[in-house]
Amino acid sequence: MKTRAVVLLGTVAGVCLVLLTLQMRGYAGGASDVLAIFTTPVQSALSRINRASVGVWSTYREWKNVRAENVRLREEARHLRVEALRVEETIEENQRLRRLLALKQAMPLATLSGEVIAREWGGWVRSLTVNRGRGDRVGRLTAVIAPDGLIGRVVDVRPGASIVQVLTDPASTVGAHVVRTRTSGIVEGEPRGTLRFKYMAREGGGIQVGDLIVTSGAGGLSPRGIPVGRVRAIEDGGSALFSYAQLDPAVDFARIDEVLLIVGAGAHDVAGLFPDGGR
Amino acid sequence: MRTFIVLAVFGGGMAHATLGQALRIADVAPDIPLIVVVLLALRRGPEFGCGAGFIAGILQDAASGGLLGVQALTKAVIGFAIGTAGGRLRVSQPLVQVPGLVLLTVAEGLARYALLKLFRFPAPFGELMTYVVLPQALYNGFLGAALVLALAWAESVRERAS
Repeated sequence: MKTRAVVLLGTVAGVCLVLLTLQMRGYAGGASDVLAIFTTPVQSALSRINRASVGVWSTYREWKNVRAENVRLREEARHLRVEALRVEETIEENQRLRRLLALKQAMPLATLSGEVIAREWGGWVRSLTVNRGRGDRVGRLTAVIAPDGLIGRVVDVRPGASIVQVLTDPASTVGAHVVRTRTSGIVEGEPRGTLRFKYMAREGGGIQVGDLIVTSGAGGLSPRGIPVGRVRAIEDGGSALFSYAQLDPAVDFARIDEVLLIVGAGAHDVAGLFPDGGR
Repeated sequence: MRTFIVLAVFGGGMAHATLGQALRIADVAPDIPLIVVVLLALRRGPEFGCGAGFIAGILQDAASGGLLGVQALTKAVIGFAIGTAGGRLRVSQPLVQVPGLVLLTVAEGLARYALLKLFRFPAPFGELMTYVVLPQALYNGFLGAALVLALAWAESVRERAS
């Protein structure tokens, strides 16, 4: 066994040395060509396999990178969406406050701005809690307005807050009149959260859908001319003493965040300060 | 098993020239056929080691476009030597495998240099050793040890499965 191995080694060494010698003398060019017949196809195949493997690996790595980038971009997009919402919210708040400030500056009566800190929106009671109370010299029955019209009045004053009865509260009543026909009546809240205008049937023949209803200022509880709502439908009471008109409120009570409390007294007509201009 | 051996020898020789690029680290490529020859010689003895070394080497020579017979001779000698000494070597430990392969690669490099010098190879010895042989020897040491461990693991898995 060992002898065979030594003989094999000797043969191999001899073949190699002969090959080298022949090559150095320029005779063994054919040997390379013969070997190339076997080696070239294998090398080509291996090279293709190599390229394919590297291609698959590169694709996988790129896919991983894309995936990681995708996760990062999603996170960034989410962050930016939140940021955009915040900016949008700030812009909207800014616009609301600007309108409120414009109304406050134009109002001939002393006013106090307040922020809504709570809402009671069940069917029994509809109220807002405003962060102005006894310390701010807010009195009971103070009218509370927004840039679009009347919200309601203060029904309870506490040390740091006031409870505002919203117009749609079932217990709410406000003296009002139709701007176009000067028909007087009372705006009442209803349990289902709507508003109606109650008026003497014999006086209200001319009321039409779309007519604007504003506060009458009767009793001095609120200035005259603050928009309350628009007539949406008229209920025909037949021969009854009173007729009713369904109203669309001038203010979207659910979306009120800032309000003005009218703390000054005086009989003023403020219709011109609101978007409808009392028309 | 024979098919595997033929594939290992033949494929190892070919893979070195084509796939070796993918394994380059800092412009140093391992001598895969040498590792294959050493592993086969350890398992199958000097005769097989010598034959495998000759085939792998001559394929490497042909693939690289160098002088035919240089690597064939050096690898055949390495295969023979390792195959002869294999029984007396404890090669199951990485602490033996790594320096062992480093030394073998250096020895193969020296033999190749001597052979080429005999046939008027012009490269300077110092630079060749510093930039080619020694880095490759280190690479071979670690790659060979990793390969031995991987083979041992694969065999243990196969034994457990059977």
